[in-house]
Amino acid sequence: MTRRQAEPAVELRGITKRFPGTLANDAVDLTVRHGEIHALMGENGAGKSTLMSVLYGMERADAGTIRIDGRAIKSGFGSPSDAMAAGLGMVHQSFKLFDSLTVAENVVYAAEPRRFGLVDRAAARRRVRELAEEHGLAVDPDARVGDLPVGLRQRVEILKLLHRGARTLILDEPTAVLTPAEADALFAVLKSLAAQGRTVILVTHKLREVLEGSDNVTVLRDGRVVARLVTAETSADEIAAAMTGRAVELDRVHAPGTPADVVLAVNGLTTDAVHDLALTVRAGEIVGIAGVAGNGQSELVEALAGLRPTTAGRVTLNSEDITHASATERRVKGLAYVPEDRHAVGTAPAASVADNLAMGHHRTSLSSRGLLPPAAVRAHAQRLVERFGIKASSPEVPASALSGGNLQKLLIGRELAHDAPLLLVEQPTRGVDIGAIQNIHDQLIAYRDSGHAVLLVSAELSEIRGLADRVLVMYEGRVTATYTKDEADERTLGLAMAGGAGIAVEAVD
Amino acid sequence: MNNRISGALRSPIAFSVLAGVIIGALFLVGTGADPIAAYEAVLTGSLGADGIGSTLTTVTSVLGMALALAIPLRAGLINLGGDGQMVLGGITAAVTGLYSPLPAPLTVVLALLAGMAAGAAYAALAALCENRLGVPLLVSSLLLSYPAVSLASYLARYPLKEPGSSLPQTRSMPDGVALPAFGDSTVTVGLLLVVLAAAAYWFTDRRTTFGYEIRMTGLNARFSAYAGVERRGLTLKLMSVSGALAGLVGAIGVLSFPYRFVDGSLTAPGYTWTGLTAALLATAAPLGTVIASFFFAVLQVGGLAMERTTEVPRELTQVLQAIVIVFLAARLSFPRFTRRKVKEAV
Repeated sequence: MTRRQAEPAVELRGITKRFPGTLANDAVDLTVRHGEIHALMGENGAGKSTLMSVLYGMERADAGTIRIDGRAIKSGFGSPSDAMAAGLGMVHQSFKLFDSLTVAENVVYAAEPRRFGLVDRAAARRRVRELAEEHGLAVDPDARVGDLPVGLRQRVEILKLLHRGARTLILDEPTAVLTPAEADALFAVLKSLAAQGRTVILVTHKLREVLEGSDNVTVLRDGRVVARLVTAETSADEIAAAMTGRAVELDRVHAPGTPADVVLAVNGLTTDAVHDLALTVRAGEIVGIAGVAGNGQSELVEALAGLRPTTAGRVTLNSEDITHASATERRVKGLAYVPEDRHAVGTAPAASVADNLAMGHHRTSLSSRGLLPPAAVRAHAQRLVERFGIKASSPEVPASALSGGNLQKLLIGRELAHDAPLLLVEQPTRGVDIGAIQNIHDQLIAYRDSGHAVLLVSAELSEIRGLADRVLVMYEGRVTATYTKDEADERTLGLAMAGGAGIAVEAVD
Repeated sequence: MNNRISGALRSPIAFSVLAGVIIGALFLVGTGADPIAAYEAVLTGSLGADGIGSTLTTVTSVLGMALALAIPLRAGLINLGGDGQMVLGGITAAVTGLYSPLPAPLTVVLALLAGMAAGAAYAALAALCENRLGVPLLVSSLLLSYPAVSLASYLARYPLKEPGSSLPQTRSMPDGVALPAFGDSTVTVGLLLVVLAAAAYWFTDRRTTFGYEIRMTGLNARFSAYAGVERRGLTLKLMSVSGALAGLVGAIGVLSFPYRFVDGSLTAPGYTWTGLTAALLATAAPLGTVIASFFFAVLQVGGLAMERTTEVPRELTQVLQAIVIVFLAARLSFPRFTRRKVKEAV
C-alpha cells in the first residue's frame, strides 16, 4: 500500500538525554519507515516530548545518532529550522499561529512567495487553495486564524508544514483539543498523507486513536523503549500494559470516602463555555470532572475560583452565596485552588520558594496589621517544605529551580495548608514524575479523609477513576453524565467524554 | 560576608558598571584624552568639596523621580508621565506658595502637600484610563504628560508671569516660603524628604503585606490575580503614590533655588528619564534604586566638571550611562545562556 524506500524516513539510535535529576531518554531507538503512521506512546513523563525535541532540534542529545532518509545528521539538528530544511515538520500541542493574520499569511509565513521582492499575496492564496484541495484540508485562505475553531487551526498548521515541503510530520498530542468529529477528520487527512508517501509520527497517550489510525507503535516508559508493536497484531490491553508497566499501581483505586454535608453547591451556572451547570461536592468527598480538554472544565473552575465572571446561576460555599464574590472573598470563606498551569498561574517562577509558599497565607496567618515579617515567611516555608517533602536546596532559591514534580508539590502543599473546606484541583499530576504522582494522590486522599471537599478536574482517566468518589463528565460545557465510583470504568467514561452520553450519540459509532 | 562580596562583584550591575567604565576609558584613549585624569575629574568634580552640594541637589530630584517610577515598576507598571506629574506638582506648589494666606512655614508644608496631591491626582487619572477605558497605562500616562506640561507653561507665561520680566517664570516665592537649606548650600530639607520616601519604600517592599503583593504582581501578574490581588486597585494606588512623589519633586524644585516656577526648568535636566533609567537599572529594588540614582547624579554633575577641567565633552558621561544600560539590557539574555551551560555540564 505504501511506496517503500530503501532507507527509513527517520532513524534514531541510542538517543540519551539527561536533565538534572532525570534521565529523560535512555538509549532510545526509533525507526519510522516512509509512508507509515507511527505512533509514539507513553504516559506523561515517559520521554516522548524529549525524544521529539531532540529529533526536531530543540534539544541536543547527550548521546545517539539521528538519520533522516539514511543520511546521518551529525550531532543532531541545531535548531528547528535545520530540521525543517531536512524535511521534518512539527505541529505543537499549542499552535504557533498569528491569530490576527489570515490563513494564507500564516501558511506562507517565513517562506513567502515573492514577486519583485514583495510578498505575492495572490500566489500565497493560490498556493493555499492548491494544497488544501490536494490534501482534503478545506479551509478558507482569507479567513482570520483567530476566528477559526481549533480543528481548522490545526489544519492551518498542517498546511504550513506541507507548504514548506515537510515529508515527515510530527504531531504532538493532536487530538487533545479536538472534538471526536474533528479527530476523525484529522485521521482521514493523515491517512491520505501517508498514502502519498509522507510519513507521520503521532505522539499520543490515547489508545483508541492509535489502534484506529496507526501502522506501528513504539511505546516509551521511563525514558526507555519497552515495546515495538505492529498495530494490526496488537490490542489495547497489550499497549496499555506496556505503557503503564510498573505504573499499573498508579491505577490503584483508592477506597471511597464518607461524604457528609454539602460544601459546594452549584446551580444553573453559566459563564464562557459553560451552560446551565449543576453540581454538588460534599465534605469527605472527591468529585471528579472528566472530559476532553476544551469542554468548559477550565472555565468552570475559574468561575468557581472567582477569576471569571458568572453570567447566571448560583454558587454556594457552606450555604453562603458566593456567586459574585471576588477571588479574595472566596478564599476567606474557605476555598483553595490548584490551577492547571503551575508556571503561568500557580507560581511566580522568578520568586523564591518561600515567597511562593507565602501566597494566600500572606494576608492571614503570616501577617499582622499589614506587616509581613520575613522570619514568619521563612518559618512557614520551612514547615511546608518538610511536611510535603518538597525538594529544594533552600527556601531562598527561585521556584524555577525546582523540578516539575516538586513545583507541583509546592503548589499543592501551599493550597492544602489553607485547610480550606473546599479544594479545587486541576490536572494535579500533569507532567509530574511517577513518584510524585503517588505522593500527590495520597495527599489528596488524606485531605478528603480529614473531612474536606475536593473538586478534581483531570484529563487522565486513571486519575479520575482512582481518586473520585463520583465522576461527572463534561461535554460542550454541560455535565452530560454522572457515575458512581463503581460505574465509572474506562469504556463508559470514554464514551461519555466523546459525547456519547448526551445528545451527540451519532458521533460515536 | 566573603560570599556576599564575591556575589556583589558577580552581580550583573557591578559587571555592567565596570564594563561601562572600561569601554568609556577606551573611548577616552581613542580621543587622545587621559582616562584616569578624566575619571578623576568626574569624581572630584562631583564628590569633592565644590561639587558635593550640587550632586546632592541633583540626587534629590533624580532619586525622587527614580522612586516615583520604581514603585509602580515593582509591580510591572510603567509610569511614563513623570514629567507631567512633576510639573503639575511644581506649578501647584508655586500657586499655593504665592497665594496662601497662611504663615510662611505652614505655607511651605501646604505647598508640598498640594504639589503631591496634584501629581497624585494626575497619575491616578492615567490609572483610571487603563482601569475603566482600557487605555494601556504606558500610553495614558505618557500622553497625559504633554497637556500638563503645556498647561504649566501657559500659566507661567501668561496669568502667573512675573510682571516686568522677560523670562517665562512666576514671581518669586514670598519671604520665608522656602525649604530650609543646609548651611549656605543649595541642598535643602527636600533631600531628607526624598530619602525618607526611599526608606519607606524599602520598608514596605521588604516587610509588609502590600509590598509582598506588589513584588509578586511584578514577577507574575497572573499568579497574584489568582491569589486574589485586585489589579485595578493596585494600579490606582501605585500610580497615586508614584504621582505624589513626582509632584513632591516638582514642589521641592519650586521651594528651593530659584524659589519660583520657571517654565522648562523642571523638565530640561531630564530627571524623569534619568530616574526611569535608575529604576530600570535596579529592577526597581529599593536599595538599588538609591544607589543607581546616586551613581547617575555623580555622572551628571561630574561630567560638567570633567568638561571644565579636561576639555573632554560631558557627553562622554552619557556614553558611559548608555553603555551601562546596554550591558544591563543584555543581562536579560545571560541567564538563559548560563542555564543551558549548566544543563550541558550535567
